Amino acid sequence: MSDRRRVNGPSGGTHTPIFSKYLAKDVKELNRPTRVRAPNVLRKMFLKTGVTPSASGSAYLEMEPPRTRNAIGPGLASLSTSGLKLTCTVHGPRPLPKNAPFSPHIILTTHVKYAPFATRKRRGYIRDSSERDLGVHLETALRGVIIGDRWPKSGVEVIITILEGEEDQWWGDDRGRGSISAGEWGMMSVLSGCITVASAAIADAGIDCVDVISGGVSAVVRGSEISDRLSPGMLVLDPVPSEHEEIVSACIVAYLPGRDEITDIWVKGDIGYGSQSSEDNPSYEELTDNAVQAALGSHRVLVGALKETAALKLAR
Amino acid sequence: MAAPAQPTLSFPKEIFAKLSPHPYLLAHLQPSSPSTPSRRANARLPDQFRPAHFNNGSLTHAEGSAVVRIGDTTVVCGIRGEVLLASNAAGFRMDKASAAPAMSKGHSEAKELDLLVPNIELATGCSPAFLLGQPPSTLAQGLSTRVYSLLHSSNLVDGDDLRIWYQPPDLSDEDMMDEDAKETPEPEIKAFWTLYIDILFISLDGNPFDAAWAAVVSALKNVRLPKAYWDPDREMIFYEDAVAESKKLQLNGSPVAVTVLVFRAKEKIQSNDKEHWILADPDTFEEGLCSESVTVIVDCSSGKTQMLGISKSGGTIVGTEEMKKVVSLAEKRWLELSLLLSG
Repeated sequence: MSDRRRVNGPSGGTHTPIFSKYLAKDVKELNRPTRVRAPNVLRKMFLKTGVTPSASGSAYLEMEPPRTRNAIGPGLASLSTSGLKLTCTVHGPRPLPKNAPFSPHIILTTHVKYAPFATRKRRGYIRDSSERDLGVHLETALRGVIIGDRWPKSGVEVIITILEGEEDQWWGDDRGRGSISAGEWGMMSVLSGCITVASAAIADAGIDCVDVISGGVSAVVRGSEISDRLSPGMLVLDPVPSEHEEIVSACIVAYLPGRDEITDIWVKGDIGYGSQSSEDNPSYEELTDNAVQAALGSHRVLVGALKETAALKLAR
Repeated sequence: MAAPAQPTLSFPKEIFAKLSPHPYLLAHLQPSSPSTPSRRANARLPDQFRPAHFNNGSLTHAEGSAVVRIGDTTVVCGIRGEVLLASNAAGFRMDKASAAPAMSKGHSEAKELDLLVPNIELATGCSPAFLLGQPPSTLAQGLSTRVYSLLHSSNLVDGDDLRIWYQPPDLSDEDMMDEDAKETPEPEIKAFWTLYIDILFISLDGNPFDAAWAAVVSALKNVRLPKAYWDPDREMIFYEDAVAESKKLQLNGSPVAVTVLVFRAKEKIQSNDKEHWILADPDTFEEGLCSESVTVIVDCSSGKTQMLGISKSGGTIVGTEEMKKVVSLAEKRWLELSLLLSG
């Protein structure tokens, strides 16, 4: 059943372009992007508040797109790798609707939506499960930060639009189409960006928080196999999935530096427990510690952006 | 509060604007002395437009994109090209006669096959008025339909740019001289590009249609479609990655939409009030106070002003004289925007 309230396009159905490069026999012919940053260096981040004057608070976040060694000029969608682009608006605190039951604290609603052009494959307008997942994680992360009892009987809405998402894998690895899915590694960076941008927008809206929260991602990655032996796993901060051949596990935390507190943690993939770490097998604790380090990095950017906002508001 | 006590009982501006918006705007527009020009609450002259900013090609996964900011209204438009196989196209008939390059005039495949798919999304938190997770509001549906019909009626996108041709190889041997072997096989259309035009409002402060339309035109100018070819062995369409082989769309002109509102001095009475102001490029506050609106879509790129559409509703004040004024305003605005659109 097609959505009659939108313009739906041809009834015959369309498909995304398939590029002749996908047909290349050897992956090595194509230049795979590789990470040029050091393992503990984050991507450059741009954060700005106040992009939506009609909302009580808003922010925009952009991550620099990964640079490839042999840079191909700006080109077609098939060639480019994207950076992350997110906008966030906060509406409220505003009174709850009349028919809502009494609430002694603020009611937080989060809403994360991909733009239809945000990913390599066009997305629809109806929210899918991964978007709802992101929304729930974001809500968990933010609930621990907002001092809710200061606004009884009111609600606040946090809305994030993902204008450009992170890719789950390099497009060259997607040639098979039938290959096992890439495990949605891109979602981790997206969630981390969502947390940071939402935090900036909430601060812009002037909602009381115990601290500003920021997100950080770390991952254990593995290069290609060398002579039948798995290459050792390596810990990296702020991974870009398209730059790594294999991601073994990834962790995202929402971290409050002032209290040394984690309000949301999500670990995916294959990771050992405890503290017994070996040379090529980082432990769970190392992974989360590194994610916290990444969060501290984005926290610095966040504080810088908020200071800029405060200076602007005071000057007015 | 730290502010010093006011000697008289008076409200700050914002409170006055909220409590009685109509007298507030009227007080602004009625000049205190005949020599001073009337100004709106947002300090603009009645016929002054907000400055516009364009930024093209900032999205990587879209074939063409534009970010347009007009005052506090910000729109992102991304265009994705997808492919509709001619065999899947409902109602498309491969006719040898009509397939010739000289297509009959007035025949629009883009319209028949629905190759342009504009959608406007307002539920992005751009304004507190729109609820989230809801189906598109009446306003969003209305705007989408207006963009859709204007795209087709203006004939902005050339149908030829959207066709993907295939020239069958000449398989006839030299020594096999059949009667029909002499004629080379005719090229045929194998598929069509479908352009999904998605328009997202990041921020809304009045005048959504003008901003959305400017974003669509700007993004269409930015579209770069890869070269497509039909692979007869795989029976699929493939695309070249090379940027050099991709091509831009050839647009017919660059239309600009201009909306004005009519503000009446008396709020309730319909007739017998001559006092009114025509406000160009209204913001949200003014939109709430005026009922009569006029939108004209003009294109002066051919040197002469072409009117692509007029829509007027909500009142009876705008007559022939006022309409002329609106059109001349639109011509002025076209000059401003066309510089930005081409630059």
